Amino acid sequence: MWRIWLLFDPRRVLTALGVFLFVLALLIHFILLSTDRFNWLEGPHHMGAAQMAPLPPAAAK
Amino acid sequence: MSDLSSPTTLSGLTEAEAKEFHKIFISSFIGFTVIAIIAHFLVWQWRPWLPGPNGYTTSMLDHATTVVNHAIAYLA
Repeated sequence: MWRIWLLFDPRRVLTALGVFLFVLALLIHFILLSTDRFNWLEGPHHMGAAQMAPLPPAAAK
Repeated sequence: MSDLSSPTTLSGLTEAEAKEFHKIFISSFIGFTVIAIIAHFLVWQWRPWLPGPNGYTTSMLDHATTVVNHAIAYLA
């Protein structure tokens, strides 16, 4: 398995791996922040029934 | 000056260097994985991310809590 470093330059592999893991972590954290259940800064928003109700029909002209 | 007795590799590393780097890489990978497992365990304790068939409120943890509460009420 160590022979992989004869093929790939460790410097490039480490750079690529670091960038990839950082972007992946950033993506996952922002996705979690955008959800209601896993937002650790604002917590869940308990929506009332009024907010969850469907929109009223458009008013007639 | 490249030594002709040791043919150059694609990465330019010798076998000894590759083995040395591999040791550090594997130990770093294991450390990263252990920290990630600990982080996932803590987040699962906070809020499990796989809802049951009836949503998050009927997770196994809630069932276990309900069972324990019933047991305590029964014993009391």
